[in-house]
Amino acid sequence: MPALALTNVNKKFGHATNEVTVLHDISFEANAGEVSLVLGPSGSGKSTFLTIAGGIQTPTSGSVIVEDQTLHDLSGKARDALRLNQIGFILQAYNLVPYLTVKDQFKLVDRVKPQGNLGAAELDDLLAQLGIGQLVDQFPAELSGGQTQRVAIARALYQNPDIILADEPTAALDSDRVKVVGQLLHDLAKQHNKAIVVVTHDLRLQEFADKTYMIMDGKMTVA
Amino acid sequence: MFLALKEIRHEKLRYGLIIGMIVLVTYLVFVLSGLAYGLAQQNTQAISSWDASRVALDKDANDSLPQSLITDATAKKVNMTSHEAYLGQAGVVAKAKGQAKLSAQFLGISRDQFIYKRVKVASGHKPVKANQIMVDDSFKDNGYALGDKVTLNSTNDKYTIVGFTHNAKMSVAPVVYGSLKTWRTLSHVTSDYKANGIVSNDANFSTTHGLSTLSMSQFINKLPGYSAQNTTFTFMIAFLMVIAMVVIAVFLYILTMQKLPNYAVLRAQGIPAKVLVTTTISQALLLVVGGLVIGATLTLATVLALPAGVPMSFNLPLLGGVTAGILLTGVVGALIPVKIILSVDPVSVIGG
Repeated sequence: MPALALTNVNKKFGHATNEVTVLHDISFEANAGEVSLVLGPSGSGKSTFLTIAGGIQTPTSGSVIVEDQTLHDLSGKARDALRLNQIGFILQAYNLVPYLTVKDQFKLVDRVKPQGNLGAAELDDLLAQLGIGQLVDQFPAELSGGQTQRVAIARALYQNPDIILADEPTAALDSDRVKVVGQLLHDLAKQHNKAIVVVTHDLRLQEFADKTYMIMDGKMTVA
Repeated sequence: MFLALKEIRHEKLRYGLIIGMIVLVTYLVFVLSGLAYGLAQQNTQAISSWDASRVALDKDANDSLPQSLITDATAKKVNMTSHEAYLGQAGVVAKAKGQAKLSAQFLGISRDQFIYKRVKVASGHKPVKANQIMVDDSFKDNGYALGDKVTLNSTNDKYTIVGFTHNAKMSVAPVVYGSLKTWRTLSHVTSDYKANGIVSNDANFSTTHGLSTLSMSQFINKLPGYSAQNTTFTFMIAFLMVIAMVVIAVFLYILTMQKLPNYAVLRAQGIPAKVLVTTTISQALLLVVGGLVIGATLTLATVLALPAGVPMSFNLPLLGGVTAGILLTGVVGALIPVKIILSVDPVSVIGG
């Protein structure tokens, strides 16, 4: 049973003559222990695909199943709980609260989800692995783009989710850091049995992926 | 509360300005309330100290004590018990050698009636002779002392201050307690007239015989300028509260709009909308409570710095009401953007 399955998903915006179909009949599966890479240029529908997979948007037709739960059947609160407990988002917007230090970003997670997060030692290891262990008292505005992105990755992984959905996680990173992040996602999949889906146009991540898909004009193909 | 406190600490200037605005509004409302209550008190302090319930005045006096005159013949028809007392009122200018003139309200009372018995002495003793008077302690603040010989208006008679009483004001003027005989002299009326009115501490007191009987609240509302002044202050405070509500609501609305991208990210991560709403409301309450505390402290400092003559005083129910009103204002202001928070779209922060 896949951790995440999209079946015949379509997504349309607008009505009548203004109607635009962003996703065409997408079927996709992500399994625990695998890194799935979805490659595509800007405007191809990658982020829409990711938001539908994570229950942020609902598809116009088709179904999304996350760990045996059909999202369509869940209430808004239940979808919130699912995102909080089982899905970790790494967003282009870096998902950091500007008035919280790096340390407090993790405290916020503890406050809304007191259990199931990484332990203190695991968090220290993660921060060290991402090269941001010394930044815990900094505010996001005091970090470089790459540092911010790495903190955002740590923030998403801290929740210890079963599924990680990443939107351009390496956009602001140099090649060395891309390797670190790619390896980290790969290790998380293999060693901790996570299902990892990365949408990106960064081909440098391809070497860490188990499956690679292409998305173009809303249509997905296996690369 | 965690997010609310962290944000306030981080955005000190922004939240400092908002707290500053709430402080100013709070300060203004407190000071105006204090002045309104203080002035109201100075209209009625003396009357309140008698703990009376009813007043009988001449039916043609338009419910006004100075315009009422009760003749001896009418007075004899009234069943006077230990609960009733005659009261004569005359506006006077008091002066003593070497002291400034003071405008005051002379109240003529009888030694064997309840008003005399209920008036409290702060120092000295109550007047026992017709040429003795007991005065409000604001006379003391103006340099008058026990034993001073005082003339009232243009008469040549001298009256000795034998006692001071605390907080005895009527129509915003200090009260001079003396005899009904002195009242007749000051009012230029003969012994055919008994008093201006009859005050009773019996809630059921009523009389006819050419008199009309008023409840104490009716009587107080008819004091010259009392209703107009209170209505003015009440409207000023009410308008200020409404304006404060609008201003605070607008500020909180703008603040919330600025935070929507952050809230959208948090919602995308599954942070429940309840947490964000709680954060917004608790932040509003923190700001308002902070503003209230500083505003109250500033008001206290102002009260201490003001000269004694400024009629400012506070009572707990009034302060409690004003404080609750401002707190409610903050909560209402914070609740307005809640709908926006609940409908924030996480997709808005995710690119395409």
